[in-house]
Amino acid sequence: MVRTILIAIGIPLLAYGFGVSFMMFKRKIAARIQRRYGPTFIQPLIDTFKLLSKQENISHGIMYDLGPILALAASMTVIFFIPIPGMKLMTGSADLIALLYIMVIGSLVMALGAGESANPNSTIGIARALTLMLGYDLPFVIVVITLVMKYHTTDLYKIMQMQTGGHWAMWLLPLSAIVGFIVTYGALGEHPFDVAVAPHEIATGPMAEYGGKHLGLLMINHAFHIYIELALFVDLFMGGASNLFYFYAKMFVIFVIYVFFDEVLPRFRVDDAVRFYWRWPTILALLGLIIVLVR
Amino acid sequence: MDMSLGVLLATPFVGGILAYLGGKIHRWVRYTFAILFSLLAFIEIFFFYNTTVGNYVWGRLFGSVLVLQINPISWIFAFIVTGISFLVILFSINDVEGHKGLDFYYLELLFVEGAMLGITLAGDLITFFMFWELMSWTSYFLIIQGGKKSITAGYKYIIMSVIGAYSMFVAIAMVFGRAHSLVFKNVSMLLSQSSPAFVIWFFVLFGIGLFVKAAVMPLHTWLPDAHSEAPSPVSPLLSGVLIKMGAYGLTVLFYGFLSVQLIGKLAPTILPTPLLLYIVEWLAAISIVLATFLAILQEDAKRLLAYSSISQIGYVVLGIAMGSSLGIAGGLFHALNHAIFKSLLFFVIGGVIYRTGTRNMSELGGLIKKMPVSFIGALFGIVALSGVPPLNGFVSKWMIYEALLQKKEVFLLIMAFVGSTGAFLYLYRFIHSVFLGQLPEKYKDVKEVPFLMQLPIWILSALTIVFGIWPGLAMNVIAQGEKFLGITPIKYTLYGFPQGTAMSSLKVINISSVLIIAFIVVLALYLMLPKERFVSQYDTYAAGQVVTPETKYNYSYGFYMFFGRVINPIFKWSADKMYEAWARATKVFGDYMRRVYTGNLETYSSYIVVLITIVAFVLLIGGKLW
Repeated sequence: MVRTILIAIGIPLLAYGFGVSFMMFKRKIAARIQRRYGPTFIQPLIDTFKLLSKQENISHGIMYDLGPILALAASMTVIFFIPIPGMKLMTGSADLIALLYIMVIGSLVMALGAGESANPNSTIGIARALTLMLGYDLPFVIVVITLVMKYHTTDLYKIMQMQTGGHWAMWLLPLSAIVGFIVTYGALGEHPFDVAVAPHEIATGPMAEYGGKHLGLLMINHAFHIYIELALFVDLFMGGASNLFYFYAKMFVIFVIYVFFDEVLPRFRVDDAVRFYWRWPTILALLGLIIVLVR
Repeated sequence: MDMSLGVLLATPFVGGILAYLGGKIHRWVRYTFAILFSLLAFIEIFFFYNTTVGNYVWGRLFGSVLVLQINPISWIFAFIVTGISFLVILFSINDVEGHKGLDFYYLELLFVEGAMLGITLAGDLITFFMFWELMSWTSYFLIIQGGKKSITAGYKYIIMSVIGAYSMFVAIAMVFGRAHSLVFKNVSMLLSQSSPAFVIWFFVLFGIGLFVKAAVMPLHTWLPDAHSEAPSPVSPLLSGVLIKMGAYGLTVLFYGFLSVQLIGKLAPTILPTPLLLYIVEWLAAISIVLATFLAILQEDAKRLLAYSSISQIGYVVLGIAMGSSLGIAGGLFHALNHAIFKSLLFFVIGGVIYRTGTRNMSELGGLIKKMPVSFIGALFGIVALSGVPPLNGFVSKWMIYEALLQKKEVFLLIMAFVGSTGAFLYLYRFIHSVFLGQLPEKYKDVKEVPFLMQLPIWILSALTIVFGIWPGLAMNVIAQGEKFLGITPIKYTLYGFPQGTAMSSLKVINISSVLIIAFIVVLALYLMLPKERFVSQYDTYAAGQVVTPETKYNYSYGFYMFFGRVINPIFKWSADKMYEAWARATKVFGDYMRRVYTGNLETYSSYIVVLITIVAFVLLIGGKLW
């Protein structure tokens, strides 16, 4: 019982810690790429606390308030279904297929919240985000099916365990891993897939109306989001890890590669992003799937 | 016990006639009868829970007995029929108040209910066909009450239904020619002893009739018109219930008349599923994807939902045609779930039309503050439909995916997944354009729908939660039904599925309880923070511009235009265009034929002379005519 409570409190804190540290590193690395010194290392934490303690908050209605709250709650739910080293967590209650659907709860309620803000920029952002999601979902589903066909289970923990000892899916299924990488990258919404936020066109899209404590919650949610995407990638393709340190290290490597891409690439137009996903990643993913099916 | 099936079936018909006659006295007499008898039918259904009554003979025709029966499979569908019909009647009372010919409307409504109940209770092919036709015609009269455009839509509907019915009739006649009893048991016995060619013909001809009603592509073209043009309370009945009759028919055809083993014998099995079922699965998967893409590009809220129905019924058919225990259970469960959430969404949009008079999504917006109950209904509906936990659509879709994974039908699975993600797009469009965004000035004084119209929304919203968190409730009946069909019944628990049923175990209650606890924690954090201040919808960021009611700007029309650019190449072809080309070809052919039928007596007599000459010639050289 005590252990359960400790896990229930510890896992979200851990996930937030991981996520927010990546946000910190991102600003530093980006600054160095642009030959700046960059802000203080803990700047994202400072920003979050500043936003949460704002005295002036606005609201456009109940759904507007519920959007960030439910998005954060949904993200906190998801992390209990992604195994971490040595812990199954709740993977027995929901497998990989169910997880794919649990993962979208947050984005959907956030979309509803942004919708009530009555700002067309937000709506355009959501419309783009959903379209992009349909774009990267096709290759991602193929990749997930490839993994299931390879390991004959949909239990994420078992998939992770079968990769221990260097038998990473990344080496065994290189094509699928490449596609998984591109998809995770798109799901994080970094350049060139930042069509939903696009600050110069639609004023940060869904977040256009959000400020104060709502934006603070969304920043916390963003940290969770980074953790979720990276942890899933590491679990699926890099065999999880034997302890938390390696887990973090693997996520960090992937994240640094993301930041490098993010800093130098321009932005896709949304239909081009969809076309991109439905062309090369899909072809590669199908190729990977057929190889697994034939063997 | 035997008699009671007849009573059950008679209930809606008697109710319809009494409502019709009662309407001549006073409108409330009509409503009382309509509500009372539809409720009565719904209550009577529960007396048959988990029972199998084989043979209640209610008549004789052409030397064949007419039989009523009930089993757990037909119980599920009878439950949907009576339940949704009752809610439709409740909803109708306020919605169509003041229209002309209301007595007839309620008569039709209850007759459609009775006809559909008759289909589920039919125990022989003649009864089945009689009620099938009754359903087509009565629902046709309901559809054409929706205004001018609905007459064309109804025309399209009835023509396609009649084509389907003829095809089905030929199939029935084929069986009748061989066996002189059309009771389901005898039919399945006959088919198990017949040649493969006969079974395939029966399968295809009977199947076409069912596919038209289930709106499986490419026989779906009637649905978007009929479902969107029908009166608001009729749309839930059509989308929620009527197309399920096709699904019920397919279940009976695949596993009642035939069986997986029998269908497997018809063609070499190199595929994971027998060939005929495999083709059906592909048709369903194509329906899922194409209908989803079409729904994304719609501007009319009811048309959007109608296309969504085609796509969702694709999941039902895909599940049923899979032939595995989990797949069939998933398909049947999705039929039940789809009846719940699609009716819910149609009730919601019906209420919006009732209050605003339009279903054009770009004219609506911001109604959440005016119609909160409808918004909650829409929210539950879209969450359930998109297959996101913890509501009911999630469980049934999950079952279908897992069943596809078990059978390694990966390409079908990819299509099913894409259809499901596409559903997020059109559902968000639906709820945003109607309830979120900016409220137009002209709807400033719109009020929530009256209580009787709210009631179906509340009930169905509650049901999405009930079946979402306790899928075992539905699995109970479905497992009994599978046992009845001779399939290994599915293993289940109250909250999900144990290890070994699917690829992995599922416990829905754990997902929802974690979600609820997390929500409470975050809400507590939120409430501790400084309070927020409410601002108007014009107080938004517009790059320095000031937004006023006159200069407000909204994003509502052509919502997914950029997505349209991506997928437009696919829609150069359409089934409708193909049928039109056929119609043109038929007309050209008819023009030529008309030259033969000159209307001139001499020409006709010369035809007869030529014919007789040919016959005589054939007989003379010793040939045989038949």
